Amino acid sequence: MFWNGKDLEQFMAHKEFIDTAIVPLPKLDGSMEGIKQSASSSDFLLSLTNFIEQQFKGRVVVTPPVLYTAAMDQQLLLQNIAEQLEIAGFKHTFFVSSDHAFSSFNQQYNVIWLPSIPLESMDQKMKQSVLGDQLRQIIPIFSQKWGS
Amino acid sequence: MSNNRVSRRQFLNYTLTGVGGFMAAGMLMPMVRFAVDPVLAKKGGGDFVLTEQKISELTEKPVKVDFTYEQVDAWYKSDVTDNAWVYKDGDKIIALSPVCKHLGCTVNWGGDKKEPNQFYCPCHSGRYEKNGKNVPKTPPLGPLDEFQVKEKDGYLMIGKVVPNTMVK
Repeated sequence: MFWNGKDLEQFMAHKEFIDTAIVPLPKLDGSMEGIKQSASSSDFLLSLTNFIEQQFKGRVVVTPPVLYTAAMDQQLLLQNIAEQLEIAGFKHTFFVSSDHAFSSFNQQYNVIWLPSIPLESMDQKMKQSVLGDQLRQIIPIFSQKWGS
Repeated sequence: MSNNRVSRRQFLNYTLTGVGGFMAAGMLMPMVRFAVDPVLAKKGGGDFVLTEQKISELTEKPVKVDFTYEQVDAWYKSDVTDNAWVYKDGDKIIALSPVCKHLGCTVNWGGDKKEPNQFYCPCHSGRYEKNGKNVPKTPPLGPLDEFQVKEKDGYLMIGKVVPNTMVK
């Protein structure tokens, strides 16, 4: 499900089944060297989280993407977001990022780190299969948390 | 030769009626077109989408078939890829929707290793038999939906979703 009025109504009615929040974390970088990479990896993250949503619609809520810059306090960012989602009643919160800076927080928070793949040069079919491969890597992470 | 010569008055009448008629038509045509527009509009959703699945390659084992169509959501146009689980039941082709009837996750054939001949939903362990019937005591409350199917030049076409016709 997505973070919109209609889906959230369903979430509130079936809280016992929908227990996982997924937060895409695309990095905002405006510098000449970083801007293209920043946009491309944000596209990748959003396509991937949308695909996760399609597969696990009945158990996850994908929040709007959280843009951050290198200068922001990343620990605080994760903490604040995780806190609110816990208040909302989510048992598990996963952050999805392609920035290595976040993988160091993996002890405290569930950060799924994936190397960004440039999707812009691919056609629809190719994208599907690439995202499918990525998803297969993520599923064990989910089932491990869900099973515990 | 002809006695009824057109008088100046008649000539002006004719031309004015003619020109006026054109102008009225020019105004009315778009109005009429707008009025009947809903009737002429193409029906969405009822169209069949061609897939790359050859009918001859289908077997009794369900396979996942992708199909892509364009979806317009307000001003945002996107190509949506959906899929169906397709198999042959005798000569009949069955295409089941992969959307779990519990809360809408995507189900997989043989997704649970313990039940290789059932559809499995990874979200809350919902299970369905091959014809889409939900297994009792698992979360789903109804059978999987079906797609209408058609054949074109040996390839499968997938149409709109209908309630399961095989489970009574």
